[in-house]
Amino acid sequence: MALGDIGAAIGIAFTYFTIIYLTGLGGLFSERSGIVNIGLEGMMIVGTVTGSWGAHHFTLPPPDGLGWGLPWGPIMGLLIGMIAGATFATIHALATVTFRVDHIVSGVVINLVAVGLARFLSTIFFGQATQSDPGQPHMNPVNIPLLSSIPWGLGRAFQQLSPMVVVAGLLVFPVSFALYRTRWGLRLRSCGENPEAARSLGVRVAPLRYEGVLLSGALAGLAGAYLAVEVAYSWGEGQTQGLGFIALAALILSNWNPVRLMVASFVFGFAQAIPLRLADAPIFRLIPDQFVRMTPYIVTIVVLAGFVGKVRPPAAAGRAYEGGTT
Amino acid sequence: MATIEAPLPTTRERVRPEWLENIGGQLLALVAALVIALLLGSFIILAYGESPAVVYGAILQFSFGSKDGFGYVISIATPLIFSALAVAVCFKGGMFNIGVEGQYLVGMVVAAWAALKLDFLPGPLLMWVTILFGMLGAVAFALVPAVLKVKTGAHEVVTTIMMNGIAISLVAWAINGPLHFTQKLGAFNINLRTDPFNANARIPDLGHRFGVPESAHLSWLFPMALVTAAIVWFVLKRMRLGYEARAVGASAGSAQAGGISIGSVQIRLFILSGALAGLVGMQQLLADKGYLPVQYEAALGFTGIAVAFLGQNSPLGIVLAAILWGVLARGETAVQIDTNVPREFVIILQGILIISVVVTYQLAQRRLLARQLRKAAAVEELSDSAAVEDIEGLAKEDR
Repeated sequence: MALGDIGAAIGIAFTYFTIIYLTGLGGLFSERSGIVNIGLEGMMIVGTVTGSWGAHHFTLPPPDGLGWGLPWGPIMGLLIGMIAGATFATIHALATVTFRVDHIVSGVVINLVAVGLARFLSTIFFGQATQSDPGQPHMNPVNIPLLSSIPWGLGRAFQQLSPMVVVAGLLVFPVSFALYRTRWGLRLRSCGENPEAARSLGVRVAPLRYEGVLLSGALAGLAGAYLAVEVAYSWGEGQTQGLGFIALAALILSNWNPVRLMVASFVFGFAQAIPLRLADAPIFRLIPDQFVRMTPYIVTIVVLAGFVGKVRPPAAAGRAYEGGTT
Repeated sequence: MATIEAPLPTTRERVRPEWLENIGGQLLALVAALVIALLLGSFIILAYGESPAVVYGAILQFSFGSKDGFGYVISIATPLIFSALAVAVCFKGGMFNIGVEGQYLVGMVVAAWAALKLDFLPGPLLMWVTILFGMLGAVAFALVPAVLKVKTGAHEVVTTIMMNGIAISLVAWAINGPLHFTQKLGAFNINLRTDPFNANARIPDLGHRFGVPESAHLSWLFPMALVTAAIVWFVLKRMRLGYEARAVGASAGSAQAGGISIGSVQIRLFILSGALAGLVGMQQLLADKGYLPVQYEAALGFTGIAVAFLGQNSPLGIVLAAILWGVLARGETAVQIDTNVPREFVIILQGILIISVVVTYQLAQRRLLARQLRKAAAVEELSDSAAVEDIEGLAKEDR
């Protein structure tokens, strides 16, 4: 096993990191506002199909000099995936916040419906139910300056990355700022910890929870769109491969903290990359691929069971708030 | 297991109307959800320039118009009955077993192992042993989240979600590893499945007796599903476990105060749920395919959750809901053949239906709860005055 393989594996891990981190951040906003969101996978699925359509549909740059040389197809794809994810998440918000349906029930339904919706949309968009035509436009990959020239092949980790990887990595700053340094973030978190107290201080719980859930849909949709547009270059059914649930696992391990979520997402991303790039390495040759792939789930169960570390979800997450809709 | 008397014999007169009211509310919620789904579906149909009556008619015609059609519906419904029952059993105890999905996948692997390795067993014994192993495998897989919940407090929803992820990898590993195809029969590439099972392991076909072609795969599993639903009904309504489950589901604290061991109830419910989940895969494994393919039919566990909602977690409701789901699933082909609407329309219809059911049921429940609270308040007032009258009556008797 050469260091180059490790470099390449890290590069693939960055791709998975982006998907898991964006989706996990989505879950973070929702659950910090008090709404448990196990529908992340479904919101991702909607992002994949709509994002792919966006990238297909907007292949031509805007007329005369308005393109600014930007890859509008993929950008529109990502934006549309985001909007579609948020729109789809409205169902979850309506059900849980307005109608006070059990959060888990609604999340399960979201995941179920998403699969069907994706097929239905695919017939409209692409004329076939389970995939789009391959080879849609994507952004030019970038090399990270300095890091990509690390010798011994390790630099490969930072070469030919989608710009979205950088965006996802930098997202930790605005998210942390919004969550911990703004009034909005404090209010959002207070809705997740103690909505009654928040309300007594004049915080309007329901709108904030809507914002949390919609943000979560937007981010999960963006992650899905990134997967379809920037990674697979096309839409295919079952493309998300349960990454939404891995994001959920990462979110739990991070204790709902954006910085730790970054670490967890990368570690889980790396676990996904091992069977692809490091299967021949001495340690991993003995373990079947499938067991490597299930490590994120096993780790999460072990941590949840309290054998290692401690998990503390937002106190009010999952609880119906009966304080009216304002 | 011994049955015990309902604990509230004295208040039975008052319980009855509430029970009726409950059923009434549920039915109303269900009908409302159906109407909403059909209405919204009609808009989509109209957008495709078709007539809703024609499309819905085609769906019904395809299922009920012929024996064949209904045979297909039944065989689609069979695994869903098992998975919805598995979900419902845990639900009664206030738990959410999202892991039926993973449990039935593991059940299929273990059953496939038994069918292949124990094929020396004579006659129908092999079939029964295979089914039993499937159930045991699923139970073992269900016990992990159950024991973790009881011993460590890890929430079953999250652990079962994680167990589902593990199960998918386990199936892939089994088919690529220990259960890998070995028979060198035939020239085509059949590496992506296990060896075919001994014919003794198969569940015998039932449909041909009623003139349903064998391609419908309507087997004895369907009557078994009905019997299972009846057993689950009996367990939940007439046996101690059911009573305890309802007590724990309604209020864990009160149940414990009443001398019920919550942990033991939860583990027993999960065992029952896992055993039911183990039966989910048998339709495709033993009635349909006769081997375990890589492209197995997945998501039956998740669909079971939808069917359980639709059937409001009652065994009878679940059987009907599973058949309704089968009608819709069968309707996909009808829509494709007879109309310009894409077949995926039916999946959307199912989605709308399930969302509406969840919401209307929630609304109905809230209304019911509010009414019960009002009634309880009224009864309290009444009983206060009744108590005064009683005392006055006693005083009269004394005189």
